[in-house]
Amino acid sequence: MLSIKNLHASVEGKEILKGINLEIKAGEVHAIMGPNGSGKSTLSQVLAGNEAFEVTEGEVTLNGDNLLELETEERAREGIFLAFQYPVEIPGVSNLQFLRTAVNAMRKHKGEPEMNAAEFMKLAREVSKQVDLDPAFLKRGVNEGFSGGEKKRNEIMQALLLQPKLAILDETDSGLDIDALKVVSDGVNALRSADRAILMVTHYQRLLNHIVPDHVHVLAGGKIIKSGGRELALELEERGYGWLGIKDEVAAQ
Amino acid sequence: MKPAPTLSSAFLQPPGQTLPAALLALRQQRGTALADLPLPTRKTENWKYSSKYLKLTDEIAATLPVSGTPAAAAPGYCAVLRNGVLVSDASNLPAVAGIRVRRFSELSDDEAATLAQRLDGTLDRQAVQLAGLNSARFEDGLLITLEPEAVLDQPLFIIHETGAESSGSAFPRIYVDAARHSKATIVEEYTSSGTAVAMTNTVTEFTLGDGASITSVRLAMEEQNVQHLGATGVRLLDNARFESHCVGFGGPLRRHDLQVRLEGPGAECKLNGVVVTQGKQHYDNHTTIEHIAPHCNSEETYRNIAAGESHAVFNGRIHIHQDAQKSNADMNNKNLLLNNGAEIDTKPELEIYADDVKCAHGATIGQLDETSLFYLVSRGIGRRDANVLLTMAFINELVDQIPVEAVKETAQARLSDFFDQTFQEA
Repeated sequence: MLSIKNLHASVEGKEILKGINLEIKAGEVHAIMGPNGSGKSTLSQVLAGNEAFEVTEGEVTLNGDNLLELETEERAREGIFLAFQYPVEIPGVSNLQFLRTAVNAMRKHKGEPEMNAAEFMKLAREVSKQVDLDPAFLKRGVNEGFSGGEKKRNEIMQALLLQPKLAILDETDSGLDIDALKVVSDGVNALRSADRAILMVTHYQRLLNHIVPDHVHVLAGGKIIKSGGRELALELEERGYGWLGIKDEVAAQ
Repeated sequence: MKPAPTLSSAFLQPPGQTLPAALLALRQQRGTALADLPLPTRKTENWKYSSKYLKLTDEIAATLPVSGTPAAAAPGYCAVLRNGVLVSDASNLPAVAGIRVRRFSELSDDEAATLAQRLDGTLDRQAVQLAGLNSARFEDGLLITLEPEAVLDQPLFIIHETGAESSGSAFPRIYVDAARHSKATIVEEYTSSGTAVAMTNTVTEFTLGDGASITSVRLAMEEQNVQHLGATGVRLLDNARFESHCVGFGGPLRRHDLQVRLEGPGAECKLNGVVVTQGKQHYDNHTTIEHIAPHCNSEETYRNIAAGESHAVFNGRIHIHQDAQKSNADMNNKNLLLNNGAEIDTKPELEIYADDVKCAHGATIGQLDETSLFYLVSRGIGRRDANVLLTMAFINELVDQIPVEAVKETAQARLSDFFDQTFQEA
């Protein structure tokens, strides 16, 4: 589904990604782990199309199409979804209005009729229950005054509404207490399906106890230096990153 | 040096003579005072940013005729004024105990004499000289009186239609006299018909007795052939409350002076304003709050959005007099520039002569937030829709506060059309 070949990317002239290679097939769940500053978030942002990052080399295809040629909104419509590490607060735009505009943009792209306010409200209420968010949040400004956990649940709620082909979860576990982690994980597990892929970017192993990956990759210095199965994550938790010859920031925490 | 141009004598031709004698005399007196009035230039402090938009050419000096059927209508109570004169057939005036809505021309000589003494009493005439042209030219006017304790059960809509089928100006004049503990919501909608070059030159005054409460909503939405030169004056006695919601759409010249005098202890005002401009449009809001008595509160929130090569101006003056101890004044003006070619000038002016006061002010000018934009488009929302959402978000808080549902909907629909034009895909 997603194929990344020799991807290099820079921000403000500084190269962060230095040749990423990664193949993700439909139905798979991949986890990318690595210390701070290894380029995990950059990879997520580049895939989603953040123009602050410049791709200097390499290629990315989604089901054979060149992803890098597409605008951010076109990527989203083709099925890329990024759950932000730091979801943005937008006072003045209600969550409901935001979500409905997004869902209808997707439906329009697929040639489906747009949902009216009443239809959408019904759907949104159902999905908000799935991530344990009080439907009252729908009336509030986008992420406005939400706690860290509420913001993350709002991200997962968006993924459930938009039904992407590839969901990229950027540090979705950060800032969550154990109960919220369970809710978010249940939401992500509900997204798992044979025709969808999930890419989780995470600093810690604990999320992977709840969402079991098929493949684990270690990103360091802008490159994937090791790949393996689920057991690699457990090994990292036990031994830290030191044995891989990289500076061990995670184990110290 | 060439002498500064003055107001053309064409503007001071005697208007119709259908008013009671006292009002005719007042008008004449005001006209005489305006003779040889130097027109503002960019060196005129309170016209610094706007003088270049003002086009007081002889072509618009004539009074627009009253004839013609107004296009506008409103739900509930409404007074439709075409070119400043009430069109009774199109209006539905309230029949509520203690509340009267009358034309100046139907007042008795005594009543007219009292009114003549009070007209302009809420305004600093020096500051609003040009809007005060209205005092020399009004053909008629509307006097709205609320007796003590009278309550208007529904909003009264005043629809001002400037009928620009030919060139000229309309001079609508409203005076609202709200006696103690009376209460009303008054909506003024400025509209226009026709395509000739024209001007709306309007003055509305409110006097609020002890404990009176007036909510005023003002929508300025004339078409692009019409200049708007307007002033609103408000005087509040003890514990009176005035709330104002102004929504303005840009034009060739749009100027509104809002002057509020807090004269009685415990009086308070809340002033909200939204302005949007695009293309080569202009809008200038000048507000003044005079804290004269102690223990008064004022709260002011204005937002401007300027696109294209348009120009929005906000000047907010708060003057706290020496005796106005325990004043509480809060002024906030935020501005959004959508294009590099647009200009916004904002100036808070605080003058404080009392020592025990709380006074806060803030003014910012910014652009749409890139991070928010990325967040929205990353959900598949098109850039144009994302821009509209974020721009509306900048003013939604104020639009939502408009207390009359029908007006809120009108404003929202107009704003939505406005942003559709602003963000038309290149």
